[in-house]
Amino acid sequence: MNDDRTARSLLRAVPSVVHLGLDDVVAGIEAAGVPVVRAAFLPPAGGDPGRVRRLQRLFAPPLGPRIDAANRDALDRILASRPCLVGVAVARDAVPGMEPDLFLHAGPPIGWDRMSGPLRGAVMGGMILEGMAATPDEAARLAAAGRVRFDPCHHHAAVGPMAGLVTPSMPVWVVEDPAAPGRRAFCTLNEGLGKVLRYGACSDEVIARLRWMADDLAPALAAALAVRGPIDLRLLMAQALQMGDEGHNRNRAATSLLFRELAPALVRAVPDAERVARVLDFLRGNDHSFLNLSMPMAKCMLSAADGVAGSSLLTVMARNGTDFGIRVAGLPGRWFTGPAQPVEGLYFPGFGPADANPDIGDSAITETAGIGAFSMAAAPAIVQFVGGSPELALSTTREMARITAGRNTEWAIPALGFAGAPVGIDVRKVEELHLLPTINTGIAHREPGVGQVGAGLTRPPWECFHAALDALAESLVES
Amino acid sequence: MDRVVVRRNEYRDSAFLMRIGRELKRVPGIEQAEVLMGTPMNRSMLAAAGFPPAAVEAATPMDLVAAIRGRDEAAIDAAGAELARLFEGGDDAPARAGAGDRPALAEALAAAPDANCVTVAVPGAYAAYVAHRALDAGRSVFLFSDNVALPDEVALKRRAAEAGLLVMGPDCGTAILSGVGFGFANRVPRGPVGIVGASGTGTQEVSCLLAHSGVGVSHAIGTGSRDLSREVGGAMTRLGLSLLAADESTRVVALVAKHPHAEVEAALHPVLRDLGKPVVVRYLGDRGRGVVDGVTYASSLDEAADTAATLAGAEPRTPALPSPAAPVLPGPGRLVGLFGGGSLAAEARLVLEAAGVRCRVPDRPLRAGARIEEDGNLVVDTGDDFYTVGRPHPMIDQAVRCDLIRTAGADESAGVLLLDLVLGDGSHLDPAPEIAAAVADARAARGGSPLAVACSVCGTDADPQGLTRQASVLASAGVRVEVSAARAARFAAALIGGAR
Repeated sequence: MNDDRTARSLLRAVPSVVHLGLDDVVAGIEAAGVPVVRAAFLPPAGGDPGRVRRLQRLFAPPLGPRIDAANRDALDRILASRPCLVGVAVARDAVPGMEPDLFLHAGPPIGWDRMSGPLRGAVMGGMILEGMAATPDEAARLAAAGRVRFDPCHHHAAVGPMAGLVTPSMPVWVVEDPAAPGRRAFCTLNEGLGKVLRYGACSDEVIARLRWMADDLAPALAAALAVRGPIDLRLLMAQALQMGDEGHNRNRAATSLLFRELAPALVRAVPDAERVARVLDFLRGNDHSFLNLSMPMAKCMLSAADGVAGSSLLTVMARNGTDFGIRVAGLPGRWFTGPAQPVEGLYFPGFGPADANPDIGDSAITETAGIGAFSMAAAPAIVQFVGGSPELALSTTREMARITAGRNTEWAIPALGFAGAPVGIDVRKVEELHLLPTINTGIAHREPGVGQVGAGLTRPPWECFHAALDALAESLVES
Repeated sequence: MDRVVVRRNEYRDSAFLMRIGRELKRVPGIEQAEVLMGTPMNRSMLAAAGFPPAAVEAATPMDLVAAIRGRDEAAIDAAGAELARLFEGGDDAPARAGAGDRPALAEALAAAPDANCVTVAVPGAYAAYVAHRALDAGRSVFLFSDNVALPDEVALKRRAAEAGLLVMGPDCGTAILSGVGFGFANRVPRGPVGIVGASGTGTQEVSCLLAHSGVGVSHAIGTGSRDLSREVGGAMTRLGLSLLAADESTRVVALVAKHPHAEVEAALHPVLRDLGKPVVVRYLGDRGRGVVDGVTYASSLDEAADTAATLAGAEPRTPALPSPAAPVLPGPGRLVGLFGGGSLAAEARLVLEAAGVRCRVPDRPLRAGARIEEDGNLVVDTGDDFYTVGRPHPMIDQAVRCDLIRTAGADESAGVLLLDLVLGDGSHLDPAPEIAAAVADARAARGGSPLAVACSVCGTDADPQGLTRQASVLASAGVRVEVSAARAARFAAALIGGAR
């Protein structure tokens, strides 16, 4: 191979050609027996002339190489982080900035007035749980009157599935990178399926379960972890990916592995055999237990890249049921939002698209970190749950590798020749390839209290990426 | 009545859109069918054409818009059904034959580290972006696309020149690099003459005339038609010249371009003078200035080619082409030139004017119909934007030109038709029979007065169409065939002169 690719090389030997567009132009080249590589063309940046120009700036020198370097740095930080499960604590004690009247929720900032049904239902349940209201109606009235303040989980190093509600008395998993003391992420404990707060249910049984989790489950788990010591979540995730999980909609393997890790420690730490059995039964009965760990694991990793100047990689994708929001490593503190999208998928018997709430939850943090739909190739069985074919599982991971900056080789996917999970969503690539991230997700009923009605695939709205691209272009200057 | 159908996220290239448009127009009762991407320009065009603005405005540049006008609802419904069939009719539907799993440009370049040239034929609005992306990856560009803004061209070429990369274009029709033809190019032997060309058909004609003299081309580096404008300043012409100066296989250099901006020309002359190799220049439209400081400024493409052949040590030759069985007689009347190649039209006009045949270039499109609506001798470039909006170039699709041949030829105010035919890769695969048929129709439609037709054929026998084969078809149809536009124009001028 000749290292010289300048124009001189065209005069020294038969040119090597990549072609884009109408075929007639290369007919002569091919007639001469010279192979032509054909590339696909789609208008970049949605075809908007101003944005096409901005995108071009963000790829070309001097900005392009600067962003590339920043993205390598951001990716290195993400991949160097080792989130470990270190304990269970109460939100008011552990979550930074938590206040008695502060409720955290999934997605970008939103007020009561614009909240969707499931999020409102969760808020009402949270108020009953916290003793602020006796009934859902009273809670709704008080919430509308401003009795509680709202803030995104992501503003407090936390994440929550679906409604993502975190109230002060709730127990949370504490995830920490031992190599970066203080870099923590928090998430509530998963309630299981059926009528649960995260889908907006706030009936007595929901509140009762939450109280049991706080009073019985959480202390037992905390005691077990104190005996067991930290659990390396990335390692556990790596094993689960080889066992058919993708860490978002399928957590059966990871939950089982967690069970294996915790069981002996629970027995050692908790003298009451019946209580140990209750805790293990709860974990055993809920395949999604690990979701509430894969999420803070992902959050902990991605927060390592937050604030890397000039980086165009995403650190957050999150939805509150009304808006979809993304955050970009190089634009810390900012949200770029658009309307939350419908979820295309399979519905439980008796439910259909008319029942569905738009996309909701912080769980897209898993995709942001390279699991979930991004690692769907590891979890072909999931297509029975979200729809599609096993081939869709493979092609989704391959597609997502096109919009990411690199791979997490520790998260090897057997079906793709042990290629690593694609990680580091680059806003520029999304815009250039006109290819949005895919998200594996559950479908919440649009009314509070009904719960999950299906599961499927969705994508963010273009508005987020357009706005993020514009902001990047504005924030970076050549010089 | 009108209907606008928007297919979301359905980007397609212009060739495909034209094909769908043609299919829809075939549906009985359909008067107009525009199939376009929903770019701002296209949307305003459709709105201006009277299609419901609300329906049109909803489309984005990623959406395919079919605007259909028909005589009644049944016709529109039929067209709508045809559109659906074209996209959804199973594996055989034309829309299925898409890009498949092709990589995007950046991906393809990452996977092909040896690739040193990117050929680009995408809509002009995106062409600069794509070219920049090729430069990002350190590759030269053959930029066939037109409608690229001049400041974008300036920025691209400045950047490329700094990196030692070529941006051939925008609006670059022709290049031959190390024997490989890009875009519209003739199959000519390799040899000692290197060409830098801002004119695609001009470059093609010089390369073919050299081939007729047995002289080959080392490389032909296209620059795009605006390279010698004041703004662009000849950035790629300079780089092309320096590449040929350093290239061992090049012994003689030829520069073919429209007349440059005066400042650019003045700055370029010393470069040509000091190139270290014999240089022949053909500035189209220029009457020639002979040899200045050793640089030959030729008065025609023919002279440029012959001079280059001579400098390369060969004897200029003209091949014997088939001639019509009967002499080509002029009809009483004016001359109408209908060209496919813009530079060849300019060359012909210069010859005609020099011979005293005053010509007009109409500033609006000629319309096919019963009579020519313009007065006087006319020289028309059917590759002009007038004629090519929503259609392929006349070198590929001759329908418009053939209709005009029928119109002009049938109009007895015209006595002489002057045509060109450009062969080679990229061009129509068998153009002469269509031209011959149009000429025959035109003659049949006249009241018996003779119609003289002269046609230049730019090509070689190695071209897919075959020079001799095409010339034979034309000669059999009673068309005088010449190897260059200037020669055909001289013949036509003599006929007109004789007719006066």
